[in-house]
Amino acid sequence: MAEAFQPSDAELGDGLLDRTMNTCPQPVYAAMREHGSVIRMNEHSVLVARHGEVMEALRDPDRFSSDMDAVEMGNVRPLIPLQIDPPDHLKFRKLLDPLFAPREVARLEAEVRRLTNELIDEFADDGHVELNEAFAVPLPCTIFLALLGLPQRDLPRFLRIKDDIIRPPGMATREANAIRRRTAQEIYDYFEPVVEARRSEPRDDLITRLVDAEVDGHRLTSEDILDICFLFLIAGLDTVTATLTCSVAYLAQHPDDRHARADHPSLIPAAVEELLRWETPVPGVARVCRHDTEIGGVDVAAGTRVTVMIGSANTDGSEFEHADVVDFHREGNRHLAFGGGIHRCLGSHLARLELRVALEELHRRIPDYELEPGTVLEYSEALRNVEPLPLTWQVRE
Amino acid sequence: MRVQVDREACVGHGRCYALAPDVYGPDDRGHCEILVEEVPPELEDQARAGEANCPERAINISD
Repeated sequence: MAEAFQPSDAELGDGLLDRTMNTCPQPVYAAMREHGSVIRMNEHSVLVARHGEVMEALRDPDRFSSDMDAVEMGNVRPLIPLQIDPPDHLKFRKLLDPLFAPREVARLEAEVRRLTNELIDEFADDGHVELNEAFAVPLPCTIFLALLGLPQRDLPRFLRIKDDIIRPPGMATREANAIRRRTAQEIYDYFEPVVEARRSEPRDDLITRLVDAEVDGHRLTSEDILDICFLFLIAGLDTVTATLTCSVAYLAQHPDDRHARADHPSLIPAAVEELLRWETPVPGVARVCRHDTEIGGVDVAAGTRVTVMIGSANTDGSEFEHADVVDFHREGNRHLAFGGGIHRCLGSHLARLELRVALEELHRRIPDYELEPGTVLEYSEALRNVEPLPLTWQVRE
Repeated sequence: MRVQVDREACVGHGRCYALAPDVYGPDDRGHCEILVEEVPPELEDQARAGEANCPERAINISD
């Protein structure tokens, strides 16, 4: 743990970009909450830090919209359903929620376990691995391809596409946004013929189910399906990768906790939840203020970008008992790692399945790993991915 | 003990029926449906676990 500190306003502004914030954000969150419920970063943006106001923002999409103005992704139409406001949002969620409900997702478990073990087969006997490249990056992507009925040979292409949208070289520059727009067009161009092919030749895959889905007489257009697939690609891959690396990095450094989970896999689901709370791999979600309003005593003008710090909400002592302690036996865990309100992560149940199965299989097959000696962990900005994550273990004869 | 769910507040996190499947169940969208409104003593722990893990505080327990 880093030592608690009291940053100045300016330091707090810079803190988001600071390595400490990436590696060990919890004390920074505490300083933010101490500073205020809502912190003005500059003329055009505020940050929501306390649990109460985080919930207020997440639950009020009329004031705090997640539409296309909230974040630049290169897309030319709103991503569905994230960038759709009420009332249209509901008709899409009514159609999509059943496809991602827990009992639907549960049907994928055997396939997820098979793909997980295929990846572990490649390194289990090596005694060392860089977990991102060999496991945490390809796993959600191979599951995504299987779910959508796309060929596994397209894996490298999908990995490049998602990186070019989420973290193009230069991040926030004009050049980066040009790469985003070019890549976005590539996504539309890739999925368009797939959707048309499923219309004429249905298969047992998610795109076919999107083509067939109907609620209240409402069906999805081909453009709708492209806008849904685009969102899946940027919301469903890196998030699971980051959560896996945060979770394994934690367990690598806490051998007693790891051994207990390896010996008793039934303890893994609660560990998944507590690590989602503590690490909050997606620390903040983007909103834009629709009209002049007030939140947490701060006046916020229409057009202001609002970063809703769910990582801070998840470590707020006003909501969680012993909030700054990682407690795998926590009785109540109302964490917001998948957001809250109407835009609650559509893929949360799939993510939970992937995380549980990945940790079950990894610890069944490699129960006793450690960080490669001398490793200094680096957590990436905005999405807390631990890369590289080099692990070593004794290979059993 | 009685349990109720605020259907307006529930957004389908699904923690209740994952942890307490004898008290809470999913509807087609994965939102919460109460299976037993009058909770018998042997299910009270489950009912409380569902309430304590709902991120939206959509579940209300009364005695």
